Amino acid sequence: MHGEFKTPGGKLVVVDFDVHNERLNNVMVSGDFFLYPEETLERINAALEDMPVASSEDEMLRCLEDAIPDDAALVGFSPGAVVTAVIRGLA
Amino acid sequence: MMPVVEPYPPAADRRWADVQWDLIAAIPETPAMNIALDEVLTKAVGRGERGPTLRIWSWASDAIILGRFQSVRNEVQIENAQAMGVEIVRRISGGGAMLVQPDGAITYSIYVPPSFVHDLSFSESYAFLDSWVVSALRDLGIDAWYQPLNDITSSEGKIGGAAQARRFGAVLHHTTMAYDMNVDLLTNVLRIGQEKLSDKGLSSAAKRVAPLRQQSQMPRQAIVDTFVSRFVELTNATPNDVTLEERAEAEALAREKFTNDEWTYILP
Repeated sequence: MHGEFKTPGGKLVVVDFDVHNERLNNVMVSGDFFLYPEETLERINAALEDMPVASSEDEMLRCLEDAIPDDAALVGFSPGAVVTAVIRGLA
Repeated sequence: MMPVVEPYPPAADRRWADVQWDLIAAIPETPAMNIALDEVLTKAVGRGERGPTLRIWSWASDAIILGRFQSVRNEVQIENAQAMGVEIVRRISGGGAMLVQPDGAITYSIYVPPSFVHDLSFSESYAFLDSWVVSALRDLGIDAWYQPLNDITSSEGKIGGAAQARRFGAVLHHTTMAYDMNVDLLTNVLRIGQEKLSDKGLSSAAKRVAPLRQQSQMPRQAIVDTFVSRFVELTNATPNDVTLEERAEAEALAREKFTNDEWTYILP
């Protein structure tokens, strides 16, 4: 599965994943955004891994927000942009 | 006749002259070596071994330079790139893929301690660190301005873009501008989806870019010389070179990391 969302005036977020047993698998978030520190990307991917496809947008958003450390900086995108890309990938 | 454009004020900021700058002139390097030098020089500034530095790049061969967080297969038509001899290299900063050719791009890097931009937001720091170039472009009669977050543009189209990495105790800010564009090669080796252009009101990436050759009618080197003069005027930078140790460190990194698929395909 493949979903994309470009934050208006910001950057592109792409999410590639498989679905197994109604859950997201092999999640890879990518794009032309900026993220500090870089390792935060692994936390974002891990937060989405095994997420039930039936999760609501709010549930996905909360899970991502919990996984992103307070000192991380997302520049040109947001947890909401990642969720939108996932939802588009599932559609 | 070029239109008269207003000077760009932020370049007058005094902080540029308050520190001692080194200026490293362009030596043609392989794509992997150019990217490796960025890591090495950022580390050197982070360790306090080197002061704030501007490095002008020169590209020895064609390459696609991917952003740190981009997926290779989502951005690159891999088989075409390989067939056309376009190397794929991943840089350490975020941002978007670019196709560079020796005479087609103008690239520079700025390495500064975090204190140099500590009071600026991310967005402000991008505009500030490129302000001297926007100012130089206006001197050339191009009505350039900074388009947040990280684009240099004019009324004719996008000229270039910047990317920053903040690690190793320093800030790396590098900017690539299009001097000349091979639209055929670009469309054969990169993938540019509609979603990326969704808020630009344009149907193709090629239409969005307005290379400097077309905007200025000047030779590439003359434009580079104008940029360097403006920077030296602003900072009194001293000509400098990559040290033997830095070069050796970069050669090892180019060999072990930046030409290694483990890094390049870290996001397949």
